[in-house]
Amino acid sequence: MNNPLILCRDLTRQYKMGAVTVHALRGLNLEIATGEFIVLLGPSGSGKTTTLNLVGGLDRPTGGAVLVGGEDITRYNEKQLTRYRREQVGFVFQFFNLIPTLTASENVEFALKLNGSNGRSAASRALELLDIVGLRERANHFPAELSGGEQQRVSIARALANHPALLLCDEPTGNLDVKTGHQVLQAIRDLNREEGTTVILVTHNTAIAPMADRIVRLSDGQIDSITVQDEPELVAELAW
Amino acid sequence: MNKLFMRKTLRDFRASWAQSVALMFIVALGIAAYVALVGSYRDLKSSYDRTYETLHFADATFAVAEAPLAVADELRALAGVTAVTPRLIRDTGYELPDGEPIRARLIGLPQTTQPDVNQLVIAEGQFFSDGATPTSLVEAHFADIYGIQPGDAVTPIINGDSVPLRVAGIGISPEYLIVSPSQQDMFPSARTFAVLWLPLTTVQILTGSNADVVNEFTVLLDETAVADTVIRQIQEILQPYELETTILQTDQPSNALLQQDVAGYKELANMMPAIILLVAAISVYVLLGRMVRAQQPQVGLMKALGYGTSDVLRHYLLFALVIGLVGLVLGVCGGIPLARWVTSTYAQELSIPFVQTQFYPDLVMQSVLISLALCLLAGYGPARSAARLAPAEAMRIDPAVALVNGRQNFLERMLPLPLEMRLPLRNVLRMRRRSLTTGLGIVFAFILVLMVWAMFDSMSIFMDQNFEKVERWDVTAVFDKPQNNATLELVRSWDGVIAAEPIIQLPVTLLTGDEREDVLLTAVQPDQQMHALQLPEGDTATAVLGDNQIVLSQALAEELGLHAGDEITVDTPFGKQAFTVSSTTKELVSTAVYVSIDDALALSPFPMAIFNGLYLQVEPSAVSRIKADLYHLPGTASVARKTDLYNDLLEMLNLFYTFMGVMFLFALGMAFALLFNATTVNVLERQRELATMRSIGTSNWQIAAQITAENVVLWLLCLVPGLLLGYAVALQLGDAFSSELFSLDITIAPTSYVITSLGILLTMLLAAWPAIRRVNRLNLAEATKVLV
Ligand SMILES: Nc1ncnc2c1ncn2[C@@H]1O[C@H](COP(=O)(O)OP(=O)(O)OP(=O)(O)O)[C@@H](O)[C@H]1O
Ligand SMILES: [Mg+2]
Repeated sequence: MNNPLILCRDLTRQYKMGAVTVHALRGLNLEIATGEFIVLLGPSGSGKTTTLNLVGGLDRPTGGAVLVGGEDITRYNEKQLTRYRREQVGFVFQFFNLIPTLTASENVEFALKLNGSNGRSAASRALELLDIVGLRERANHFPAELSGGEQQRVSIARALANHPALLLCDEPTGNLDVKTGHQVLQAIRDLNREEGTTVILVTHNTAIAPMADRIVRLSDGQIDSITVQDEPELVAELAW
Repeated sequence: MNKLFMRKTLRDFRASWAQSVALMFIVALGIAAYVALVGSYRDLKSSYDRTYETLHFADATFAVAEAPLAVADELRALAGVTAVTPRLIRDTGYELPDGEPIRARLIGLPQTTQPDVNQLVIAEGQFFSDGATPTSLVEAHFADIYGIQPGDAVTPIINGDSVPLRVAGIGISPEYLIVSPSQQDMFPSARTFAVLWLPLTTVQILTGSNADVVNEFTVLLDETAVADTVIRQIQEILQPYELETTILQTDQPSNALLQQDVAGYKELANMMPAIILLVAAISVYVLLGRMVRAQQPQVGLMKALGYGTSDVLRHYLLFALVIGLVGLVLGVCGGIPLARWVTSTYAQELSIPFVQTQFYPDLVMQSVLISLALCLLAGYGPARSAARLAPAEAMRIDPAVALVNGRQNFLERMLPLPLEMRLPLRNVLRMRRRSLTTGLGIVFAFILVLMVWAMFDSMSIFMDQNFEKVERWDVTAVFDKPQNNATLELVRSWDGVIAAEPIIQLPVTLLTGDEREDVLLTAVQPDQQMHALQLPEGDTATAVLGDNQIVLSQALAEELGLHAGDEITVDTPFGKQAFTVSSTTKELVSTAVYVSIDDALALSPFPMAIFNGLYLQVEPSAVSRIKADLYHLPGTASVARKTDLYNDLLEMLNLFYTFMGVMFLFALGMAFALLFNATTVNVLERQRELATMRSIGTSNWQIAAQITAENVVLWLLCLVPGLLLGYAVALQLGDAFSSELFSLDITIAPTSYVITSLGILLTMLLAAWPAIRRVNRLNLAEATKVLV
């Protein structure tokens, strides 16, 4: 690979729980090119969320390095990490994590503002983003007034807000029906294809895998297999 | 109880240990304040009683012109009389080492052992020793102020000569726990009044009295005797010797002042700790409730897993019980020694010789009931409502968010603020319950701090007011022989005298209905400037001091139920005279009444203008010289500086300041715990939300700025209610703290408001800091994942 955006080198992450040590990752090596669409598959507890957290700068590894654009983010201090997350990464959390006191559009706006958008343009851009995930009508609702799937879509809109170079999605469709699931995946796919956003998408759902450029299978904290798909399927063709 | 639940209870404590500890601290403070301050007030009272009992404080004191010593035996023979001590009292002068003259009282005692009545505690030295030079015992306050020790000399002025006496010892007397010269002149005067006890014969020799002559009988009565009857019998026996006064224990000046002083605290000593306890109780109820409510999703989960409502309830009651119990034990264990310390501290300040400290089970019982009941109630309510929700509902709704409603409120629509300013405002306005509970903590903090501060402020404003605005003289002289205009002219001609005003002061009795009241009548020129009468709006001194008009102190008017226009009779040594009450004046001393000097002269048998007191304004540099000159005028009884009076009064306020000082520590501690808890919970409840903000790139300082902004908004919202309620509570306390001696008007200095407000803001911002740090250090991977 001549132009890797992300390089995970011998990545390990251990959790010490008293006498027991949990090996969440046991030496993960992975290169991801700019603009690639990766689907991370694996059974529960195999280390998918852990990988995402390390790549996204939410956690620090026990060993190994994560190079992003040639820079080792594991050596970043807190301030640099904050900047990295703000400017380069978009997160879609497994558990949505919306800010409860902000409405749907404000949650999106909140992220926009972090990168310096001003008030009026941020507000209208937030509505555009909500439109993409089909939630324009619910823009003024608070998270508590939205269903789980709707909250998930708001969190995707938020993740898209700053045209992140890297979009990290943890089970983005876990709570969605087929139709909205397609909408969400399509939105992510468009971003990937049109803006060249690199995407890592974690899922249990093997039916989603065919849309990826590469499918990375994890098992017990290690890469089990990698499948390269030269002709990924269109979102519309996926069925589950 | 399920073992797992026990384990969870322990973990809940560990997870929120700072909050749990703060709650325990609040309970403990409330209880300690209650046990210590109410307890020490009771201790103080019983210490007085014990002192009186141990020292055989006289039940009645009879003053006569002159009587043979042997009359004492006649009195002792009466049924109902337990003990009699005859004494010879002479009021004279005293020369301080720097030559300044003050008043003195020589008390001749018939034995060289302790008297049967009004015994002394010999704090230093020994009782009279026989020796070549006459020896004396010196009253403890006076000795303390002027550093007099056994072996030193004291120098009363007898018949114009300074007579040195060797000091045998320092005596504490039940008659002079507060040094007050007489019923009419009750003002505490430790600095300007020297009490000396001498052997009877010494006083007789020094003052030229005949041997075996006395002029006072102090009497101890049998508890079972009918006091009135016995006193009447004694009065009959003493009548032939020109009985002058009969002073019962309740009217004895020192005791009367003490009782008034203590009475003023009675309400305060109970109310203030009760307020602190109440604040603690409400705060624990609210904050503990909030902690339990925050666990609502867990309650839902427990129920989803199949635990019953009662299992859940028991779990949270245990949590509450542990907090209540630990707080209780700490509070009681801290409160009891603290009570001892407070009691002995102010007993020492007031030099009460016999200090009595006790354990009061009723206070502890009340504390147990209040703390446990409230903690259990606080745990029960929210746990029950959480347990009643359908599990799915309970799990789904983040309790912190449950109250966020959908519509933008009016304020937000009116003010198109940018998001970063809207967010803190909304966090405060939308999270009603959270903001209300935090706000309650802030308002309580205001009340606690202001109520104590108001007491300090009011007292010092009161003192300033009285000694700067009301009393405008610098030196006062009292004469025991009437003076005429020649004296006045002489004094006015002295170097350094700016102004001098004559007054007449007379002990008189007011008669109204069947009430009799002994008061001190002061006759002044209506246009005098030395003592500014504090008349109601619209009244002027010249208008209310006309012919046959009398102005009463406000306290006296209230006590006697008199109003302007009422008629009263004044019984003077020269006969009775009717007066019309024309107005009232706010006076420091409640026994004061004022008439015009012309009225007083009309009453007197003297044909010319006379006076027996002077108020002087003098150049500061000339004070000492003028004081000495005044003293050397023929017929001067006493001369006093205003500053001495001020210092004497301050000394009497020691109890007040000690008590308030302790209260202030409690109030500050409690206010801090409240603010810490309220702000900490505010941040910690939102760990996940704040962690999410950080993971999408919000920097640490932006998080800190946002929380700080929220705290400022909360503070602003609480500012007005906090200040108003603080003032209102202080007003209530001021009402409670009123004695016949003082009526305290509650005034809070503007700077106190500002300092309190800023102090609370600063505390809030600092108290939030540990929580902010914690949130900013949170492992994002974990914090954004965990549901609850
Ligand atoms: N904070 C933690 N402390 C201890 N162990 C942890 C922690 N976080 C994760 N683990 C462990 O690390 C392993 C990998 O966890 P991870 O969350 O990456 O799994 P996952 O692949 O995302 O699973 P799922 O599909 O269920 O979300 C698991 O065995 C998990 O128990
Ligand atoms: Mg996961």
